[in-house]
Amino acid sequence: MSIPALKVSGLTKRFRGVTALDSVYLDVARGEVVTLIGPSGCGKSTLLRCLTWLEEPDDGFIEVGGRPFGRTIVGQVVHRQTRREIDALRPKIGLVFQNLNLWPHLSALENVARGPVVVLGRKRAAVEAQARALLARLGLERQMDKHPHELSGGQRQRVAIARTLAMEPELILFDEPTSALDPELVGEVLGLLREIAATGMTMLVVTHEIGFAGGVADRIAFMDQGRIVETGPARAVLDNPTDPRLRAFLGRVLPSSLGVTA
Amino acid sequence: MRMAFDPTILVQYWPLFLQGAWLTIQVSVQAFLLGYTLGIAVALLGLMPGRLPRLAATSYVEVLRAIPFIIILFVIYYGLPFSGLRLPAPLVGTVALGLFASAYYAEIVRAGILALPRGQFESARAIGMSPLQAMRHIVGPQVARAIVPPSTNMTLTMIKESAVLSSITVPELTYQGLVVQGNTFAPFEVFAAVTLIYWGITIAVAGAARRLERRLGVAQARGVSRNRLAASYLLLERERAR
Repeated sequence: MSIPALKVSGLTKRFRGVTALDSVYLDVARGEVVTLIGPSGCGKSTLLRCLTWLEEPDDGFIEVGGRPFGRTIVGQVVHRQTRREIDALRPKIGLVFQNLNLWPHLSALENVARGPVVVLGRKRAAVEAQARALLARLGLERQMDKHPHELSGGQRQRVAIARTLAMEPELILFDEPTSALDPELVGEVLGLLREIAATGMTMLVVTHEIGFAGGVADRIAFMDQGRIVETGPARAVLDNPTDPRLRAFLGRVLPSSLGVTA
Repeated sequence: MRMAFDPTILVQYWPLFLQGAWLTIQVSVQAFLLGYTLGIAVALLGLMPGRLPRLAATSYVEVLRAIPFIIILFVIYYGLPFSGLRLPAPLVGTVALGLFASAYYAEIVRAGILALPRGQFESARAIGMSPLQAMRHIVGPQVARAIVPPSTNMTLTMIKESAVLSSITVPELTYQGLVVQGNTFAPFEVFAAVTLIYWGITIAVAGAARRLERRLGVAQARGVSRNRLAASYLLLERERAR
């Protein structure tokens, strides 16, 4: 078996005694698209924040492409990685924030180009050419010199995705990519996610869009109370949920029927 | 005795006023540079994770803010010889003034950074920027404009506090005013002139601050590339000459 793009084992996070993540195990294979669903407050966002070490998990291990991230075991002893070691691996794990967090003082082009120049130490000319190509591919050739506040919601989303792609990550985490959008833009962004998935990118997508989960994802993981309760092929999980909590959840988000058309 | 405004005093002693004003400007600029550098350092220290750096930063600010400037000055000036150090008064005065201002600058910078959504810093960190890189490229440029007005206020206060250095014989503007007054017994003429000079200095500083604020605002609103100075700093494009 090949090395998974992401391997999470026993990840636990507590906030002042409240357990947000309760020993989460999750493997994501290279090129696989996994969606993470679950009621709000179940720990989905916390999981993504721990996977980028924005939040330091209290326990557990993360591997990215076989390399330990954040913590490593040498012999019998758990070592915390240094800030530098963590920063060095961070470009491999892209994160598209729920509210994007674009940098308002920089143009769309600069939002995309700044990371590779500063973090990866690439030549500006090459990075800019690459960033232009990337933005053009995402349909933003006319928006490159605009600032985030001059862009529409869908365009901002594209810039945020381009900023992440420019770092050439091995996997991308999406935190509810459609939650901040107008309803008519949801389809557009989901289409974009499909395109990215089609390029073979490994993706872990937190979403409320069960349609997307069923249509694009290879696998669905259902989280509740800080645990991954059920995981399996998208169709199977949606059509034949076994866990009662998942059934209740699907009953709420899909009130008419459990049949899903993507 | 007739009280009449006698401008000949000012004509006669203008070199002293000029020397005093020049030293006030020099001391202020140096204290500003020292104070702001320390202020930024203390602000960043206070925002570091962990209790110890934060405690160090808050203690620094709390202590310096709790003491009148003249006392800070006396403690340093009269305290240093106890440790075997005897430094010239203008140097001690400048350092004391810089320390005094740094506590307030630190609070201004800290508040400016905290006012920015945390996601700005996090999105920079998430792609692999170090905390300092995130400060320099993402947080700093956005905070810069917001902190210009409060920093200007503090700088004007500091320039005026520099008058206190006269009490440890630093020959700045107020000191020279006292000297001229001692020679001429014409306090009103002397301090009217001193007032005007302080006023001129502070007006110049306030005007420069307004221009800086506009510049930073323009850079933010219209795209940094329009402003070459800001652009060279913000975009790191030294190689891309235009």
